Formats: sequence, structure tokens, C-alpha cells
Amino acid sequence: MIKLALPAGDLRTPVSNVLESAGLRVEGYGEGSRTYILRVGRHEGVIARVFREKDIPIQIALGNYDLGVCGLAWIEELRARFPQHPVVLLRDMGVGRSGLYVASAADGERDVSSLGGRRGLRIASEYPNLAEAFALAARLPAYRVQAVWGAAEAYPPEDADLAVITAADEAAVSTHGLIPLHRLLDGSAWLIANAGSLARKDLSPLLDLLARGTSRGDMPHLRLPPPLPMGAQKQPVAPLRAETLRMALPDGHQQRHVVAALRDAGLLPRRGYDESQCLRRPESPIEGLEIKVIRPHDMPQLVATGEMDLAVTGRDCVNEHLSRFPSSPIEEVVDLQRAQFNLAAVVSEEVAASDLSGALAHWRAQGRQVIRVASEFPGIADAYARSRHLGRYQVIPIAGASEGFVPEDAELLIEGTETGKTLVENRLKPIELLFRSTTCLVAGKGREFKGRRREVFDHVLSALRSSTKAA
Amino acid sequence: MDKPTRCRGMRDMLPDEMRRFRRVEEAFRVACLGWGYEEIRTPVLEYLHLFTTAGTLSPQMLGRVYSFLDWDGWSGERVVLRPDSTIPTTRLYADSLDGGDVAKMFYVQNVFRFAEGDESREDWQCGVELIGDSQPQGDIELVLLGREVLTHLGLQVEVRLSHTGLVRAVLARAGLDASEQLALYDRILDGDDLALRELQERLPEVGGSLEMLLSMEGEGVAYLGNLRSSFGGSIPELERSLDELAAVASALEALGCRCLISAAMVRNFEYYTGPAFQFEVAGRRVGGGGRYDALLSLVAGRQVPASGFALEAGALAGLLSVEASERRIATVAVKAADGEALALAFRLASTLRAEGLTVQVAGTAPDGGPSVEVAGEGFVLSGVGGKARRLASVEAVAEALREIGCD
Repeated sequence: MIKLALPAGDLRTPVSNVLESAGLRVEGYGEGSRTYILRVGRHEGVIARVFREKDIPIQIALGNYDLGVCGLAWIEELRARFPQHPVVLLRDMGVGRSGLYVASAADGERDVSSLGGRRGLRIASEYPNLAEAFALAARLPAYRVQAVWGAAEAYPPEDADLAVITAADEAAVSTHGLIPLHRLLDGSAWLIANAGSLARKDLSPLLDLLARGTSRGDMPHLRLPPPLPMGAQKQPVAPLRAETLRMALPDGHQQRHVVAALRDAGLLPRRGYDESQCLRRPESPIEGLEIKVIRPHDMPQLVATGEMDLAVTGRDCVNEHLSRFPSSPIEEVVDLQRAQFNLAAVVSEEVAASDLSGALAHWRAQGRQVIRVASEFPGIADAYARSRHLGRYQVIPIAGASEGFVPEDAELLIEGTETGKTLVENRLKPIELLFRSTTCLVAGKGREFKGRRREVFDHVLSALRSSTKAA
Repeated sequence: MDKPTRCRGMRDMLPDEMRRFRRVEEAFRVACLGWGYEEIRTPVLEYLHLFTTAGTLSPQMLGRVYSFLDWDGWSGERVVLRPDSTIPTTRLYADSLDGGDVAKMFYVQNVFRFAEGDESREDWQCGVELIGDSQPQGDIELVLLGREVLTHLGLQVEVRLSHTGLVRAVLARAGLDASEQLALYDRILDGDDLALRELQERLPEVGGSLEMLLSMEGEGVAYLGNLRSSFGGSIPELERSLDELAAVASALEALGCRCLISAAMVRNFEYYTGPAFQFEVAGRRVGGGGRYDALLSLVAGRQVPASGFALEAGALAGLLSVEASERRIATVAVKAADGEALALAFRLASTLRAEGLTVQVAGTAPDGGPSVEVAGEGFVLSGVGGKARRLASVEAVAEALREIGCD
């Protein structure tokens, strides 16, 4: 059986077109099917599965999948941390072209050499290993890399000094209000293979179609800067601290729930954040309140470091943060009781057990030595595995589309489930409830505000509490 | 169930290895204390930023550190398993000892660096750091101290001297920036002939004699004189380094310490600024060090001259001969498992240990070793050649055990 990993998201349509033109029809892929395991045309011995793009190099490196397609930046992100990973670049698929840029805020540094000797630079990126490689190569002193789930372009200048982001070109970087300082990589979607599969397995039914014909493409490489001259030892950069209270709102699937909660509380932004719009900096409804829209996963960290004063996020994200950093100074101050779902331990329907100890016995009887736990919440998954004494286990961090992982690529999922319908569709079942997640407002523990900031803080809390109670 | 296995690159130390390791450690400690050094220990976790600034660890080394976010690392500040001991020692000096004239410190501690396959990822260092205004005699002192440790262990040591200024001057003359210098230098050390040829093409005025500087070794002051004659005219920046090296080499030669001069010797030389040295035993590098005058200014913001070295304790222990433990363990035999009999046995063992003997409590002595049993008002000693002996007092038992080496 040949296993092919295909990307969800923006690459889905162009990659589907490339596959079709090569004579490979993956049923349901181009239409955005939520059935995660797909049949590949008439090829009996091939299955394809859809992953979030960033998970694909990891799945190929682990050997769970033989071939995959994903953006070069994600491959380099893995290589930057694990230079020996067994992923072989086979062919440039010619779609999804973009660059990876180091960028600063419009009123920040204007060229990369001026970063030399700057202490305490904060670098936000979805590509933390590449951001780290940049900082190390440039020999930046005492930098901090903020690994974010997305929207890194929204971080400078208040919440980061630099962002490492993908963009089509320099002009596209500028549209985010940033200055491109250094182009790290020119990328596109590549066909990749596990080195072991290439060496031992007959992949020719797919390689004949995908890896033959057009040119292989130039091998792009990471362009790291030389060590930057230290210049005069510059003092640490003082983070910008506004006189306003700063609140983070979520994008993605939580947005509509939060829009409803804010509307009920009279706190909906005047412009840029509603059912149809999502600007990174929407217009605040209250003087003295500044709003930024970012990924909900990234909010607890920003509240903990004091960059944000308040954040509307999910309890799942808060618990994930606290699982990794138990003494982090954040707390839930209002439960908005929206977008509720259960976070549960989930196994395949084929596991003849209704609880974890039964499932463990089942897997051990099958001779499984290592229990693989896949989750979008690796901190929670790790804490769960430790506290439930799973023995030898492996946490596989994933970026989403997790339902198809079990049973082939993991034994256990730590997974959010709202109605249980998706689980049933994917022949899965919950065996233990970890907690009930809900949208909530979080703030810094023990943080004191004065003057107008205090007034705004009290007003936001009181409005959200009242509207929640009324609902 | 799977048999527990060690992490790759980590090693256990068995009793025999520990005995040899302790011999290395003890020889090192005695020598350091004799030269007026004091023992310190730095924590195994440090902030990563301590090592990332230019002039501290080289990029090659930084690519092999074990760094991660600590449990309170929500700010993104990474910590690292100590990959080197010199930089933490300068941090310790800046934190706690800055202000004194000279700080003379030594340590025995482990460092962690990723290595391919089954190569060791944890190494133990016997290190010495001499911080303060003590140059150039400090370099000479450190070479003599390291050599004394190795000689005391019965090892034939060869000393190699170098100066990072020699290679730096050549590479800078060739117009290479800092990262290009490091990359080319590593290729030269790896024996890449092409790298040397590239450098020769960049420096036509020096030409073929570069091979002499970068690939050859020579004897002490005489060889340094030859280098001065060959390169002084074409690369005048070498003069200062040659002068510093000559001062150290001539003093060591006068003290009977033969030195080989090897210009291209020091790997990952980013923080070394002056004379560097290396100790070899039977063709194997077992330690090295050098001067790092710029490091304190990076860590503490103040220029303080410093130098140091580290011996590789694990490698040295491996070179020592295996010695069986001379210690004999006496056993106080317990005949019954009731509380009274057990208490009696442990009381007797405790009394004998207070006499300076090595004593355990067990059912029987291993392989017929010395064994004592409480018998009525007295004691029965067996396993000491011939028949069992009846002894009247604890003192008599202790004396008999002492005679057979249980002390």
C-alpha cells in the first residue's frame, strides 16, 4: 500500500489540479471533502489522506506516509530543527509559490544589518525553527522567538519586533504594514518522499505520474544572513506599552461566537470584526480599549507576558498553555459559555474497550510497545499521558484534521468533540472526558491597572459578565 | 515489556569505570588545589542567550545544543543544557566574583552536545579558568598544571601550542567575513585540499608557504622563527601572535616542556583570542584550552583577560589501567529474620563501621567472604582462611577484619 499525504487549506485546489493533469484523480480532494482518507482513482494500492500542511513533512519523516505534497517552508522548518530528517525533495510542483521573509514594523528597522547587537528582539513566527536559525546565524544577542499558530504579521510593533512570514513578494509583505528586511527562502509546493520508502518500497505507480516529465526544478535553499556586526552594544528594546487597555479577539471558527457575545455586551468593534469581516486591528467601540485579532492559541502567552491585558480565547487554549507552563500568570475571569465542546480521549471504534485501562490492555495484547497520542494540544496530551501512566508513549503534535489519524497513525487522539457526529463518521469513539471547553475571557493574574485602563478593564468585565448572566 | 534502554549518546558508568574516573578527578583536584585554584560548580541549565552572542559559541556548536522552553518559559526565553563550561564560568564570575584581582577556579562537570549516532552526547570536563590580570604567565601556568595532572596519572603527554590570531590574520587577509572564515577553517581542519587551494588563490603574495602554516607542525621556538621569516613580510598582522606564542613556548621549553607548534589546531575557536594549547596522549586529544580575553566583555560588559583549559575526564579514565577494587566487604550474617536478630546484626555492623571497617548486613557473605555472626556472648568469624574463629569482643572482630583488608 502506498500512502500519500495531501495538503488541506490554500494548496488544496492547485495541488488537486496538478494531480488531475498528471492523470491522478483523488476522489473528493479538490471538493474539500471532510472524509480524510480518500481513494486514489483506479489505483487499488494507494490511499491518500488530507493533512494540515505543516503536519505533512512530520508524517513523511516519521515514515507514516511514503509521499506527500507541501510547501517548502514547512520542510525547511523541520530540517532547521532536525537536519538529519529522512525527507527527500523530489519535484517542484510549480504551485503555491511564495517567499519567507523576515520583516519589521513600518516604523522599525529598515535593513537587516541594523539588527546587529540589538538585545532582546522578539521574533514572532509560525516557523519558530527558521526564526531561530535566522537569529542564530545573525548572532542576535538575547532574542526571543514567539512560536505562533498564525497571524504573525499582526504582531509588530506592539507584540514583537520582527515577524518571519510567508508572502508572495515584498509588496505583499508591505500590505501588512511591514518592511521586508531579509528573504529567507523562495518556496513552492514540493513532492517529497520518505527516504526509507524510496529505498525499499515500489512507489513507481505514483512516481511515474508525479515525478516524471517536467523539470525537477532548482533546489532552493535557505538564505541565512552572515553574523551581523555588533556595532555599539544596544540596550534592550523596551516593548511598546500603550496607554490603552489591550484586548485580543480570536479569528477562525470562534469568531462568530465571540461576535455574538460582544454584541450582547455592547462591546462589538465599530468596524472590522463581525460575521463577514476580520481585520487584524478592528475599530474599538470604547475609547481607551485597543483591539487586535490573532489566533486564539497564541493569546495565553501574550497575556502572560503582559503584551495583552485581556484576551477572548478558548478554555482549551488556556489549558494547553497551563499544561506547558503551570505557573504562568494568567486566569480565566469570565466564562462566556459560547462555542462549548468536550475535549476527550478518543480511540478507534475497533478498540474493544470503554475506558482507558481497557484500551491500554487492548493495545498491549496487540503487541504495541509505544502508544502514539496525536493532538492539536500536545501539552494537554502529554499531561494526560503522564497522569494516566501510559508507559512508553509518543505525543504527535498536529495542526488539525486529526480524525483520520486513528488507527493507522495513532492509537489515541486528544480531540475536541461538539456533537460526536464527526467522530462517528470517522469510526471513532470517546473513552474519557478531559474537560468541557468554552469561550472565555482571560487576564493576567494579579495584574493591577490604574486610571482609564482600570475603568476600561472594569467596564469590559462587567459588560461581559452581565450579558452572559442574562443569556 | 521492552527492556529499558539508555538514551542514544548517553552512557552508564560501571563501578570499574567510576574508580578510574575518580582517580582522574582526584589527581586533577589535588593539582588544582596545589596551584591555588578553588572548586566551583555551575548549574546544568543556563539561558540560551548566554551562548548565542557573537564571539561566544560558534554556529557549528550552537547547532548541537539541547535547548528548550522551561516550565515557566512562556515568554519564549529558551534554556539550554550546559554545552560548555567556560562561558557559564565567566557568567558566574560576572554574577558573583567580579571585582577581585584574579579568580582561579576549577570544576568537574558535564557538558551536553548533540553527536551523530552512538557518539557520546555527554562529556565530563575537568576544567580550570584563570580570570584576571595574569597574562602571559597564566598561559604558562595552565599548560604546566594540565601537564602535571596527566603526568601524575602516569600518562605520556604531548603539548601542542597554537594561536588563534595566526589563522584569523590569514583568513582576514584573504578578505573573508566571519562566517566564511569559520567555514573555510573547518574545511582546512577536515583535510579538504581544495580549501587550502582556494585560500592560496586569494593570497597569491603568500602562495605555497600557506601549507606550511596551516598543515604543518614544528618544534617550539625554532619553528616559530621560521614562520616569522616566511610570513612576516607578507602578513605583518601575524607578528603580534607570533610574539605572544614565542613568550609562552620559550618559557615552557626552558622548564623542560617540549611543545609542538600547530597553527591550525583549535576547532570552534570563536571565543579564543590568544595562545591556545592542546594535550595529547598516545595520539589522542585529551584536553585543551587557551586565552579568551574578549569573552568577559561580552558576558559582563567589562574587558578582563582570561584563559582556561579542560581535560576530558571520560577519555582520560579510559586510558587508565583497570584496577580491581582492593576493598573487602565484611558481612554480618543474619540467621533469623525476626526484629531482635536483625537489630543485633545492624547494631554490630554499625559498631564495626565506626571502627573504620566496610561492613554490610546479609544472610550470607558473597562467595565465602568474611562473615561475622553473633553467637551467644561472643562472635564467630568465618571465611577468613581455615576454620571459623570464635572471638570474645567487637574489638577483636574489628582487629581480625582489619588484618584482611576490610578497612
